[in-house]
Amino acid sequence: MADRSDAELLTDLLTRERRLVSAYEAALRRDVIEASLGETLLAHERAHVAALERTLAGRGDPVASVPSPELTAALRDRRSFALYAKRLEDEIVGLYADRVPRIRDPKLRQPLGSIMTCDAAHVVALKDSMGSRFLVN
Amino acid sequence: MAPYVTRREALGGAAAALVLASCGGGDPPPSTGPRPGSGIALLGSLLALERASFAAYGACLDVLSGQARQQVHAIRAQERGHASRLAAVIEELGGTPPPGRSRAEYQRTFPQLRTPEDALRFAEDLEERQVRAYLEAVTEFPALELRLEAAGICADEGNHLATVRVLQGLPPAQGPFVTGAL
Repeated sequence: MADRSDAELLTDLLTRERRLVSAYEAALRRDVIEASLGETLLAHERAHVAALERTLAGRGDPVASVPSPELTAALRDRRSFALYAKRLEDEIVGLYADRVPRIRDPKLRQPLGSIMTCDAAHVVALKDSMGSRFLVN
Repeated sequence: MAPYVTRREALGGAAAALVLASCGGGDPPPSTGPRPGSGIALLGSLLALERASFAAYGACLDVLSGQARQQVHAIRAQERGHASRLAAVIEELGGTPPPGRSRAEYQRTFPQLRTPEDALRFAEDLEERQVRAYLEAVTEFPALELRLEAAGICADEGNHLATVRVLQGLPPAQGPFVTGAL
Protein backbone atom coordinates (compact mmCIF):
# COMPACT_ATOMS: atom_id res chain seq x y z
CA MET A 1 0.00 0.00 0.00
CA ALA A 2 1.25 3.47 -0.88
CA ASP A 3 2.18 5.66 2.04
CA ARG A 4 -1.12 7.32 2.87
CA SER A 5 -1.91 10.06 5.35
CA ASP A 6 -3.76 9.37 8.58
CA ALA A 7 -6.67 11.44 7.23
CA GLU A 8 -6.97 9.20 4.17
CA LEU A 9 -6.84 6.04 6.27
CA LEU A 10 -9.45 7.39 8.69
CA THR A 11 -11.68 8.46 5.81
CA ASP A 12 -11.70 4.87 4.50
CA LEU A 13 -12.82 3.64 7.91
CA LEU A 14 -15.45 6.36 8.26
CA THR A 15 -16.94 5.47 4.87
CA ARG A 16 -17.34 1.84 5.92
CA GLU A 17 -18.74 2.71 9.34
CA ARG A 18 -21.35 4.97 7.73
CA ARG A 19 -22.34 2.11 5.45
CA LEU A 20 -23.01 -0.01 8.53
CA VAL A 21 -25.09 2.76 10.13
CA SER A 22 -27.21 2.97 6.95
CA ALA A 23 -27.59 -0.79 6.87
CA TYR A 24 -28.76 -1.12 10.49
CA GLU A 25 -31.11 1.88 10.16
CA ALA A 26 -32.70 0.33 7.07
CA ALA A 27 -32.92 -3.10 8.70
CA LEU A 28 -34.72 -1.68 11.72
CA ARG A 29 -37.16 0.25 9.48
CA ARG A 30 -37.94 -2.93 7.54
CA ASP A 31 -38.01 -5.14 10.64
CA VAL A 32 -35.38 -7.51 9.23
CA ILE A 33 -33.32 -7.52 12.41
CA GLU A 34 -34.47 -8.25 15.94
CA ALA A 35 -35.10 -4.79 17.40
CA SER A 36 -32.92 -5.03 20.50
CA LEU A 37 -29.95 -6.40 18.59
CA GLY A 38 -30.39 -3.90 15.75
CA GLU A 39 -30.62 -0.94 18.11
CA THR A 40 -27.50 -2.04 19.99
CA LEU A 41 -25.44 -2.54 16.85
CA LEU A 42 -26.71 0.75 15.40
CA ALA A 43 -25.81 2.64 18.59
CA HIS A 44 -22.30 1.19 18.48
CA GLU A 45 -21.82 2.10 14.82
CA ARG A 46 -23.09 5.63 15.42
CA ALA A 47 -20.56 5.98 18.24
CA HIS A 48 -17.81 4.77 15.89
CA VAL A 49 -18.86 7.29 13.24
CA ALA A 50 -18.95 10.09 15.79
CA ALA A 51 -15.49 9.19 17.10
CA LEU A 52 -14.02 9.05 13.60
CA GLU A 53 -15.68 12.33 12.63
CA ARG A 54 -14.28 14.04 15.73
CA THR A 55 -10.84 12.70 14.94
CA LEU A 56 -11.08 13.79 11.32
CA ALA A 57 -12.51 17.24 12.07
CA GLY A 58 -10.80 19.72 9.83
CA ARG A 59 -8.88 17.03 7.95
CA GLY A 60 -9.68 14.96 4.91
CA ASP A 61 -12.38 15.24 2.25
CA PRO A 62 -16.12 15.06 2.90
CA VAL A 63 -17.49 11.52 2.64
CA ALA A 64 -20.65 10.78 0.65
CA SER A 65 -22.56 7.62 1.52
CA VAL A 66 -24.43 6.05 -1.39
CA PRO A 67 -27.11 3.38 -0.84
CA SER A 68 -25.89 0.00 -2.04
CA PRO A 69 -27.97 -2.23 -4.36
CA GLU A 70 -26.76 -5.16 -2.25
CA LEU A 71 -28.38 -3.62 0.81
CA THR A 72 -31.72 -3.40 -0.97
CA ALA A 73 -31.51 -7.10 -1.82
CA ALA A 74 -30.46 -7.97 1.73
CA LEU A 75 -33.52 -6.27 3.24
CA ARG A 76 -35.94 -8.96 2.05
CA ASP A 77 -35.70 -11.10 5.21
CA ARG A 78 -33.81 -11.47 8.48
CA ARG A 79 -31.42 -14.18 7.35
CA SER A 80 -30.43 -12.30 4.19
CA PHE A 81 -29.80 -9.19 6.20
CA ALA A 82 -27.79 -10.99 8.88
CA LEU A 83 -25.58 -12.56 6.22
CA TYR A 84 -25.09 -9.18 4.52
CA ALA A 85 -24.33 -7.38 7.78
CA LYS A 86 -21.95 -10.12 8.88
CA ARG A 87 -20.04 -9.73 5.62
CA LEU A 88 -19.80 -5.96 6.12
CA GLU A 89 -18.62 -6.43 9.71
CA ASP A 90 -16.06 -9.06 8.67
CA GLU A 91 -14.76 -6.70 5.99
CA ILE A 92 -14.48 -3.75 8.31
CA VAL A 93 -12.62 -5.80 10.93
CA GLY A 94 -10.14 -6.77 8.22
CA LEU A 95 -9.88 -3.14 7.15
CA TYR A 96 -9.13 -1.96 10.70
CA ALA A 97 -6.56 -4.74 11.14
CA ASP A 98 -4.79 -3.48 8.04
CA ARG A 99 -5.21 0.28 8.50
CA VAL A 100 -4.81 0.89 12.23
CA PRO A 101 -1.17 -0.28 12.32
CA ARG A 102 -0.43 2.19 9.51
CA ILE A 103 -1.77 5.21 11.41
CA ARG A 104 1.22 7.43 12.14
CA ASP A 105 -0.17 9.00 15.30
CA PRO A 106 0.34 6.26 17.91
CA LYS A 107 -2.21 7.83 20.26
CA LEU A 108 -4.96 6.98 17.77
CA ARG A 109 -4.10 3.32 17.32
CA GLN A 110 -5.47 1.98 20.60
CA PRO A 111 -8.89 3.71 20.41
CA LEU A 112 -9.21 2.71 16.75
CA GLY A 113 -8.29 -0.83 17.72
CA SER A 114 -11.04 -0.79 20.33
CA ILE A 115 -13.53 -0.08 17.52
CA MET A 116 -12.11 -3.04 15.60
CA THR A 117 -12.65 -5.38 18.57
CA CYS A 118 -16.21 -4.10 18.95
CA ASP A 119 -16.90 -4.82 15.28
CA ALA A 120 -15.40 -8.30 15.79
CA ALA A 121 -17.97 -8.76 18.55
CA HIS A 122 -20.71 -7.71 16.12
CA VAL A 123 -19.73 -10.62 13.86
CA VAL A 124 -20.31 -12.96 16.81
CA ALA A 125 -23.66 -11.28 17.58
CA LEU A 126 -24.84 -11.72 13.98
CA LYS A 127 -23.72 -15.35 13.85
CA ASP A 128 -25.53 -15.98 17.12
CA SER A 129 -28.67 -14.32 15.73
CA MET A 130 -28.59 -16.81 12.83
CA GLY A 131 -28.34 -19.74 15.25
CA SER A 132 -24.80 -20.56 14.19
CA ARG A 133 -23.25 -23.26 16.35
CA PHE A 134 -19.74 -21.95 15.71
CA LEU A 135 -19.13 -18.42 16.87
CA VAL A 136 -15.34 -18.57 16.69
CA ASN A 137 -13.99 -17.35 13.34
CA MET B 1 -10.89 10.10 20.53
CA ALA B 2 -11.11 8.69 24.07
CA PRO B 3 -13.13 5.50 24.49
CA TYR B 4 -14.33 4.98 28.01
CA VAL B 5 -13.36 2.02 30.14
CA THR B 6 -16.29 0.67 32.11
CA ARG B 7 -16.04 -0.37 35.72
CA ARG B 8 -16.46 -4.00 34.63
CA GLU B 9 -13.62 -3.60 32.17
CA ALA B 10 -11.47 -1.98 34.83
CA LEU B 11 -12.13 -4.72 37.36
CA GLY B 12 -12.93 -7.71 35.23
CA GLY B 13 -9.44 -8.74 34.27
CA ALA B 14 -8.03 -8.57 37.76
CA ALA B 15 -8.20 -12.29 38.40
CA ALA B 16 -6.68 -13.15 35.06
CA ALA B 17 -4.03 -10.49 35.44
CA LEU B 18 -3.00 -11.95 38.76
CA VAL B 19 -2.89 -15.44 37.35
CA LEU B 20 -1.11 -14.49 34.18
CA ALA B 21 1.43 -12.30 35.91
CA SER B 22 2.38 -15.29 38.00
CA CYS B 23 2.33 -17.92 35.29
CA GLY B 24 3.96 -16.51 32.24
CA GLY B 25 3.47 -12.80 31.83
CA GLY B 26 6.50 -12.26 33.99
CA ASP B 27 8.78 -14.54 32.01
CA PRO B 28 11.99 -12.76 31.06
CA PRO B 29 12.36 -11.66 27.47
CA PRO B 30 14.84 -13.47 25.25
CA SER B 31 18.36 -12.53 26.27
CA THR B 32 20.19 -12.99 23.00
CA GLY B 33 19.87 -11.82 19.44
CA PRO B 34 18.25 -8.66 18.22
CA ARG B 35 18.92 -5.15 19.38
CA PRO B 36 16.92 -3.43 22.11
CA GLY B 37 13.95 -1.52 20.74
CA SER B 38 13.19 -4.12 18.08
CA GLY B 39 9.99 -5.08 19.88
CA ILE B 40 11.30 -8.52 20.79
CA ALA B 41 10.73 -8.08 24.53
CA LEU B 42 7.09 -7.24 23.89
CA LEU B 43 6.80 -10.23 21.56
CA GLY B 44 8.18 -12.42 24.35
CA SER B 45 5.57 -11.07 26.78
CA LEU B 46 2.75 -11.69 24.31
CA LEU B 47 4.04 -15.21 23.72
CA ALA B 48 4.08 -15.88 27.46
CA LEU B 49 0.50 -14.58 27.69
CA GLU B 50 -0.63 -16.83 24.83
CA ARG B 51 0.99 -19.88 26.38
CA ALA B 52 -0.57 -19.17 29.76
CA SER B 53 -3.95 -18.69 28.07
CA PHE B 54 -3.57 -21.96 26.19
CA ALA B 55 -2.93 -23.75 29.49
CA ALA B 56 -5.79 -21.89 31.17
CA TYR B 57 -8.21 -22.95 28.45
CA GLY B 58 -7.11 -26.53 29.08
CA ALA B 59 -8.29 -26.13 32.66
CA CYS B 60 -11.56 -24.62 31.42
CA LEU B 61 -12.19 -27.62 29.15
CA ASP B 62 -12.08 -29.93 32.16
CA VAL B 63 -15.38 -28.49 33.44
CA LEU B 64 -17.15 -27.59 30.19
CA SER B 65 -19.39 -29.71 28.02
CA GLY B 66 -21.54 -29.44 24.91
CA GLN B 67 -21.47 -26.31 22.76
CA ALA B 68 -19.43 -24.29 25.25
CA ARG B 69 -16.75 -26.97 25.24
CA GLN B 70 -16.64 -27.00 21.43
CA GLN B 71 -16.28 -23.23 21.27
CA VAL B 72 -13.58 -23.10 23.93
CA HIS B 73 -11.75 -25.93 22.22
CA ALA B 74 -11.72 -23.86 19.02
CA ILE B 75 -10.52 -20.78 20.88
CA ARG B 76 -7.75 -22.80 22.50
CA ALA B 77 -6.60 -24.06 19.10
CA GLN B 78 -6.38 -20.48 17.86
CA GLU B 79 -4.36 -19.44 20.92
CA ARG B 80 -1.89 -22.21 20.12
CA GLY B 81 -1.70 -20.88 16.56
CA HIS B 82 -1.02 -17.37 17.88
CA ALA B 83 1.75 -18.70 20.14
CA SER B 84 3.35 -20.55 17.23
CA ARG B 85 3.22 -17.43 15.08
CA LEU B 86 4.74 -15.22 17.78
CA ALA B 87 7.54 -17.74 18.37
CA ALA B 88 8.24 -17.79 14.62
CA VAL B 89 8.38 -13.97 14.50
CA ILE B 90 10.84 -13.91 17.42
CA GLU B 91 13.04 -16.35 15.53
CA GLU B 92 12.73 -14.33 12.30
CA LEU B 93 14.06 -11.36 14.25
CA GLY B 94 17.05 -13.39 15.40
CA GLY B 95 15.81 -14.05 18.91
CA THR B 96 15.12 -17.17 20.91
CA PRO B 97 11.55 -17.65 22.14
CA PRO B 98 11.26 -17.92 25.92
CA PRO B 99 10.91 -21.56 27.00
CA GLY B 100 7.51 -21.35 28.69
CA ARG B 101 6.40 -23.50 31.60
CA SER B 102 4.95 -26.94 32.12
CA ARG B 103 1.21 -27.47 32.29
CA ALA B 104 1.54 -28.38 35.98
CA GLU B 105 3.37 -25.14 36.72
CA TYR B 106 0.64 -23.12 35.05
CA GLN B 107 -2.09 -25.20 36.65
CA ARG B 108 -0.90 -24.40 40.17
CA THR B 109 -1.59 -20.72 39.64
CA PHE B 110 -5.11 -21.03 38.22
CA PRO B 111 -8.21 -20.54 40.35
CA GLN B 112 -10.17 -23.69 41.08
CA LEU B 113 -12.80 -24.03 38.37
CA ARG B 114 -15.72 -26.04 39.72
CA THR B 115 -18.51 -25.18 37.33
CA PRO B 116 -18.97 -24.15 33.69
CA GLU B 117 -19.85 -20.68 34.96
CA ASP B 118 -16.48 -20.47 36.75
CA ALA B 119 -14.69 -21.51 33.57
CA LEU B 120 -16.48 -19.02 31.33
CA ARG B 121 -15.93 -16.14 33.74
CA PHE B 122 -12.24 -17.03 33.87
CA ALA B 123 -12.16 -17.26 30.07
CA GLU B 124 -13.74 -13.82 29.80
CA ASP B 125 -11.09 -12.36 32.09
CA LEU B 126 -8.36 -14.02 30.03
CA GLU B 127 -9.71 -12.52 26.84
CA GLU B 128 -10.11 -9.07 28.37
CA ARG B 129 -6.45 -9.24 29.29
CA GLN B 130 -5.41 -10.38 25.83
CA VAL B 131 -7.43 -7.72 24.02
CA ARG B 132 -5.78 -5.04 26.13
CA ALA B 133 -2.29 -6.50 25.59
CA TYR B 134 -2.67 -6.56 21.81
CA LEU B 135 -4.23 -3.08 21.67
CA GLU B 136 -1.20 -1.82 23.56
CA ALA B 137 1.09 -3.76 21.23
CA VAL B 138 -0.52 -2.12 18.18
CA THR B 139 0.38 1.20 19.76
CA GLU B 140 3.86 0.30 20.94
CA PHE B 141 5.52 -1.96 18.37
CA PRO B 142 8.09 0.09 16.48
CA ALA B 143 7.80 -1.78 13.17
CA LEU B 144 4.73 -1.77 10.93
CA GLU B 145 5.04 -5.51 10.30
CA LEU B 146 4.82 -6.24 14.02
CA ARG B 147 1.86 -3.89 14.44
CA LEU B 148 0.08 -5.72 11.61
CA GLU B 149 0.70 -9.05 13.34
CA ALA B 150 -0.65 -7.66 16.62
CA ALA B 151 -3.74 -6.14 15.01
CA GLY B 152 -4.62 -9.39 13.26
CA ILE B 153 -4.37 -11.37 16.50
CA CYS B 154 -6.24 -8.63 18.37
CA ALA B 155 -9.20 -9.08 16.01
CA ASP B 156 -9.20 -12.79 16.87
CA GLU B 157 -9.13 -12.01 20.59
CA GLY B 158 -12.09 -9.66 20.12
CA ASN B 159 -13.94 -12.56 18.53
CA HIS B 160 -12.99 -14.84 21.43
CA LEU B 161 -14.07 -12.30 24.05
CA ALA B 162 -17.46 -11.88 22.39
CA THR B 163 -17.86 -15.65 22.09
CA VAL B 164 -17.26 -16.35 25.78
CA ARG B 165 -19.64 -13.50 26.66
CA VAL B 166 -22.38 -14.96 24.46
CA LEU B 167 -21.82 -18.37 26.04
CA GLN B 168 -22.59 -16.74 29.41
CA GLY B 169 -25.76 -15.12 28.06
CA LEU B 170 -24.16 -11.67 27.99
CA PRO B 171 -24.20 -9.15 25.12
CA PRO B 172 -21.20 -9.79 22.83
CA ALA B 173 -19.82 -6.30 23.44
CA GLN B 174 -20.25 -4.15 26.54
CA GLY B 175 -20.15 -0.95 24.54
CA PRO B 176 -18.94 0.61 21.30
CA PHE B 177 -15.26 0.56 22.33
CA VAL B 178 -13.95 -2.82 23.45
CA THR B 179 -10.74 -1.89 25.24
CA GLY B 180 -10.06 -5.05 27.19
CA ALA B 181 -8.81 -4.84 30.76
CA LEU B 182 -5.58 -5.24 32.67
